[in-house]
Amino acid sequence: MGVPRTIGVAVWCLAGLCAGCAFDVVRLKQSPAQYEAVPATGRTWILNDDLKVTLVSGWATPLKKGTNWRQVGKIKEGDVLTTGNQIVTVEASNLFEAYAVVDGGKVVGFFLPVERSFTPADPPVSIDLRLKD
Amino acid sequence: MNRLQRIIKQGAFIALCCTMAACASGPRFSEMSGTIPSLAADSGRIYVYRTTVLGAAIQPSVKVNGEVVGSAVPDGFFYIDRPPGNYKITTSTEVDRDLSLTLDAAQTRYVRLGISMGFFVGHVYPELVDDAQGQSDLGTLHYTAK
Repeated sequence: MGVPRTIGVAVWCLAGLCAGCAFDVVRLKQSPAQYEAVPATGRTWILNDDLKVTLVSGWATPLKKGTNWRQVGKIKEGDVLTTGNQIVTVEASNLFEAYAVVDGGKVVGFFLPVERSFTPADPPVSIDLRLKD
Repeated sequence: MNRLQRIIKQGAFIALCCTMAACASGPRFSEMSGTIPSLAADSGRIYVYRTTVLGAAIQPSVKVNGEVVGSAVPDGFFYIDRPPGNYKITTSTEVDRDLSLTLDAAQTRYVRLGISMGFFVGHVYPELVDDAQGQSDLGTLHYTAK
């Protein structure tokens, strides 16, 4: 076996190995969540500062200062809040629409309404919300 | 040298023609928006579009909950009306890329198709954008039916 042929075989083996690797390498850590919708109260909170939440795995959209939030439900981990002022998603190899989960004044993670699951923040971060007049 | 320059120019021209041929050619959104049917009160609408011509040759099918509803044509858009519920938008190249979203009655959602580097081919991925961004992006795009 000549050197060029050896190199060719090596390249094809490497390509095969790489192709065999899963591109879906970042999986979002999720756990099933028992979601309970809450009646609309009409109360809205305004986010006073930009907020970046890091996740155990994956990435979350930074929450923008000045956005309006309302509670739509609750899960075991906390109150589920959503906003109509920005798109919030969490992302790993796939993207998921997400609602913020707040407990004790902190964002503790995100609720994924389609998957009905919860992905935790790491660490939970304080959120500065004020009730809109 | 002149011959080399001529070859390069011809190559660039051919590449440009190929790119243009791969792009959408239907009516622009701005020209046809008046003819798009109003959304029924018990339905939501999802616009799916692709602005980038990067990787123009890669035009995977776009599936919604497993059903093929269109293709990721550069510079193109299409829309679907669906009952309120949960939806998964999927594009497949050498890997699947999913976007999960909720759709309410009378709600319009905008899904932009981006492209990222892949091993053999680029990956087309769906992302949810806000209404203002979606409406702004759609203006110059061409309608592509399924």
